[in-house]
Amino acid sequence: MKKIKLKIEGMHCASCASNIERSLKKTPGIKSATVSLMTKKGFVEAEDSVKDEELQKAVSRTGYKLTGIERE
Amino acid sequence: MHDMKNMDEHHHDEPMEDSEISSWKKKMKWSWILAIPIAIIMLSERIFGFMILPEAYSSWILLAMAFPVVFIFGWETIKGGTRGFVSLYFNMDSLIALGTIIAWLTGIFSQFGIVADYSGVAAMIMAFFITGKYVEAIARGRASQEIKKLLELGAKNARVLKGKEEIEIPISEIKIGDVMIVKPGEKIPTDGIVVKGFSSVDESMITGESLPTDKNVKDSVIGATINQDGILYVKATKVGRDTFLAHIIDLVENAQGTKVPIQELADKITGIFVPTILIISIIVFMNWFYFTSDLSRSLGIAISVLVIACPCALGLATPTALMVGSGMGAKRGILIRKGEAIQTMKEIKIVMFDKTGTITKGKPEVRKIKTAKSVKENYLLEIAASIEKNSEHPIARAIVEKANLKKYKEVTGFKILRGKGVEGYIGKKMVLIGNPLLMKERKISLKEFEETVESFENSGCTTMIVSYGNEVLGIIGVADAIKEDSLAAISMLQVQGYRTMMITGDNERTARTIAKEAGISEVIANVLPEDKAKKVEEMQKEGMVAFVGDGINDAPALKQSNVGIAMGSGTDIAIESGDIVLVKGSLVGVVQAINLSKKTFGKIKQNLFWAFAYNTIAIPLAVAGLLHPVIAEIAMALSSITVVTNANLLRRARI
Repeated sequence: MKKIKLKIEGMHCASCASNIERSLKKTPGIKSATVSLMTKKGFVEAEDSVKDEELQKAVSRTGYKLTGIERE
Repeated sequence: MHDMKNMDEHHHDEPMEDSEISSWKKKMKWSWILAIPIAIIMLSERIFGFMILPEAYSSWILLAMAFPVVFIFGWETIKGGTRGFVSLYFNMDSLIALGTIIAWLTGIFSQFGIVADYSGVAAMIMAFFITGKYVEAIARGRASQEIKKLLELGAKNARVLKGKEEIEIPISEIKIGDVMIVKPGEKIPTDGIVVKGFSSVDESMITGESLPTDKNVKDSVIGATINQDGILYVKATKVGRDTFLAHIIDLVENAQGTKVPIQELADKITGIFVPTILIISIIVFMNWFYFTSDLSRSLGIAISVLVIACPCALGLATPTALMVGSGMGAKRGILIRKGEAIQTMKEIKIVMFDKTGTITKGKPEVRKIKTAKSVKENYLLEIAASIEKNSEHPIARAIVEKANLKKYKEVTGFKILRGKGVEGYIGKKMVLIGNPLLMKERKISLKEFEETVESFENSGCTTMIVSYGNEVLGIIGVADAIKEDSLAAISMLQVQGYRTMMITGDNERTARTIAKEAGISEVIANVLPEDKAKKVEEMQKEGMVAFVGDGINDAPALKQSNVGIAMGSGTDIAIESGDIVLVKGSLVGVVQAINLSKKTFGKIKQNLFWAFAYNTIAIPLAVAGLLHPVIAEIAMALSSITVVTNANLLRRARI
């Protein structure tokens, strides 16, 4: 289990954040996800097996841009 | 440890809000250049019946003028919104996109007399929407201004000693062990230890402490604090992401990733809000059309419903207030780690304080010494210090400091007896240093000293009995003075109606003396470190407990309590435990943290109330056909602006 911080661009409303949260939570291996519109960051708890590409996909399918991944 | 990947280097260091604000601003300017004439034409034609444009072309010209507003300046909204219909991840752009596209299309169909022309309205909606987003982005930026200041706080360059030369290098190139030269008025580039020089340092930006702190050789300094009057030579001990400032920023940012329980309902609604509104607007349209057969009016009402509904007020209510609150805290050295803490705080009835380092300074000093007959004080101290030199415990350090030996006796078999004392061998005989309990356990007679122990304890000293080969050499009384503002802070809490308690490993008598000085009447003494959490649990049967202690030894108790408040020592923060972390070691921070939490939570409740009220009033009004689409859009923009602005008003609260 790892904590991952995401930098996300393109959000401008509350439902944006909630969409990305929902999409991330649907990704297998992701246990929890919260996205903050205020800091433009996402906070994810995920299995070690979750790859960058999967995170990328989860964000981009909702129409936003993942610009940074920071693994603890 | 950290591994940051930037897929988009180009945007990395640019403050996000600023780029968002400037992009909305540009779109806003352009859209009004067209939307204002459109508004004038529409108003004069429809209200005053005065045709500015030739009647035959008027609607075509409006349609053409509205096009760029909706589809060029509003392109990102249209694009983002329509994508929602493909991916089924709807956001509020979807509502605006659908509303404006339908409205604009009526301009074409109106040419054939099918429906009234709403194309001008489409431009107005988009222009107001963009304006609303611009103002909201500014307000959101203001909400995070303290955090932004923290981000910009770090020094850019450092002057480093290379051999005998001073060279200036960017902050990112400093390595641990480098010696930095900091002149008066300059920022200390990164965390380190003073190796030469003496000065006072302004640490207010980090700790909230307004008075400058004196720094001498061997003192730790924090990066980004400002050197006041002397030249300091500082050896870097932490760089990059490991610095104190980086930790604070991390902590404040991560708090935004935690939820305040009260927002749960709002979050749930936000999640299904847009699709629900889409469905409602279709139903509303069909109903109105079925009952009135008036296509134009039915469409107008459906558009009103689409654009009046805004999940933002609901979704922003909590995070904006939390952001402002945690920013206000950060400025004062109060770091809110978990959003939940500010909600729980209002239920707290009991505030439990750890003694050492929390109520007291945590720097015990040897106050009293009583030796056995025929034993010299120097000898007692020599034996005691030689043993205690192996321990990191503050009491041990106090004894070592007092003895101030040049040469220590050789010690073997040193062992720490947690919560009791230490043991070790000097020569073949065993030395035991510890509390009366330990002596009793080891069957060492204290008879001769019973009175001394009692009098030491009554004066607030912790007694350390030194025995050598089963014989007591003497007693050392160590006392830890209470912090200057502990009494004031605790009495403030009592005035506010909190039950205050002190918990400590000290014996009852010593503990009572200290507690009395701090103004606390309830004391739980003789508690082993590992039992503190259990005591907290017991107290929780009587009410919600906030535990105040240092983040390292008291971690389990902090965790067990309903709100854990971890005290920093000024140069180190215990990030791993505590719901709230106080950077500065003053108990006044506890009072402030409690006030700040209550005020922030109050603001969240207020915001949520307005957001719910807005949606439950505005949507039915639109459904009932009482609001023109443009009015609906203005109301929507105002709702989210109000919430964010209201959050910003939290700054007026006195903490």
